[in-house]
Amino acid sequence: MNLFFRDILGPFKIFEGIYARIRRIVVPPKAYSWQTLLYLSIFSWLMASLSTGYITDIIAICGWLFLIAGTAWYTTDNPLYIPYTNMPVGAVITGFLVSVFAFGQDKDVITSRTMVLWPTIAAIITAIPEFFEGTGTDVKTQVPRIEERQKIIVLIACCMVISCWLQFYFVVDNWVTKYPSVQVDNSKRSALVLRRESTVKVPPNGIVILDKLVPQVEDQIAKKPWSEVEQWLLDARKKVGDLGKQVIGTNLAEYEERYLWHVEPRISNVKSGYKLDLLSIWVGPSANPNGYYLKKSCRIDPMAVSRNTAAAAVKKLDDTSTIAEIECDRTPPKFILGTPPPQ
Amino acid sequence: MPEYSFLPRIVPLGVILLDFLFLLVAIPIEALIMNRRLKFDKRTSSFYAICINLFSSVIGWIIFFFMEPMLPVRFKSELIDYIFFNQIRYAYNIQTLIILTAFIIFFATFLVKYLLLRVMLISLREPGKNEQVSEPIIKRNSRRNYKSKLQNTNVITSLLIGNALSYSLIVMILFIRAAYV
Repeated sequence: MNLFFRDILGPFKIFEGIYARIRRIVVPPKAYSWQTLLYLSIFSWLMASLSTGYITDIIAICGWLFLIAGTAWYTTDNPLYIPYTNMPVGAVITGFLVSVFAFGQDKDVITSRTMVLWPTIAAIITAIPEFFEGTGTDVKTQVPRIEERQKIIVLIACCMVISCWLQFYFVVDNWVTKYPSVQVDNSKRSALVLRRESTVKVPPNGIVILDKLVPQVEDQIAKKPWSEVEQWLLDARKKVGDLGKQVIGTNLAEYEERYLWHVEPRISNVKSGYKLDLLSIWVGPSANPNGYYLKKSCRIDPMAVSRNTAAAAVKKLDDTSTIAEIECDRTPPKFILGTPPPQ
Repeated sequence: MPEYSFLPRIVPLGVILLDFLFLLVAIPIEALIMNRRLKFDKRTSSFYAICINLFSSVIGWIIFFFMEPMLPVRFKSELIDYIFFNQIRYAYNIQTLIILTAFIIFFATFLVKYLLLRVMLISLREPGKNEQVSEPIIKRNSRRNYKSKLQNTNVITSLLIGNALSYSLIVMILFIRAAYV
């Protein structure tokens, strides 16, 4: 009978054990302990969420300070070291909190700077206790022994190097943002970077340039007298280049890669008129050593003006009786690898 | 079309590993030379070598991070080309610039390492003993002074030799990499 009861009560014993353990963690053993600080921090946050204005900020800062102090205290109670180093795990956690507190913005809690400075701050937090001696109540400063000093300096140096590597990651990531066209065609792999398979096959900025450029070129040619258009075509390199610069300046302003795009025309005779190819050429980094370009073709043909529509024009000169008609591809631009053909 | 993935777009793991390899090459060489020429014991010389190399690497990175936004786009484009696609186009006379940069980096590193060694020597000094040691030196005659000067030149030569050796090995590693990768 007794045994039976013990069997039934067995699971409850387990709960009892868990309850005791939780109780030991949650209930502070004395007023002056790390749990108190954590509760103070939670309390400050509650208060901060209720209050408004700059009082919120002040109380929130208090909450952060309590949280950091509590974590630091808890983790220094029984230090657990990262294998093969003299850095306690606690310093890493406290370092993260300090970093978030110092560099986190309101909108995104974890910024790149938080991540970059985390190791360095953690190392400095590891180093601070070495300069103090004694218990919590009476503290005096000291200079640590030579071996301790060597360990601390090496630790700080290593952590700073790691910080630099993290920062370099963010620099490279920023390059991809500013130069989106480098994501095109990464068939050739470099051992220096690991990258995801990109889904971008055609540079979007090149398409944007041509799509905005074509209507402007059409404006300058369509319905103009044929002789004027021929003059324009003789000077096309400069005209198209200027239009291209303007289009790139307005549409690609947010990208640094705008200096690496430029626009050129290619003109060839066809039986009735001219063929105008507009090229947006990428001169920046790409897997293909010869680079690539995008092309959109237009056909320019002379068109006789019928008498009733242009009765006024006929009165002036014979030349005006033919006007130009331009028709560009409606399909997306062609993406071509290699150097563009010479004019 | 924003695509969401928790994987980062690009990780410069190779660059980081290469930097780590450079440190692994440079630290033992300089530790060895300091041990042989300056008669530090093994522990101290490795400490000095580790510190001056790590801190000079940090200083170099910081200078790079400050310079990077100011670089002209064409140089940045070459840099991206090298890091992303492992190629250099050699446009815009970039070779002369690379050689000039390498030259500046070599002497700047040497200078920074010398200053760092000075700082490290101070950092390991016992604060109490400091005055006791410095007083007799002033009282001694010029021969002692000459000797300390000699020691200083010895430090400079050792650092220069160590720096030159480690950089030659690093350049060799880069050439081997360029030939086989």
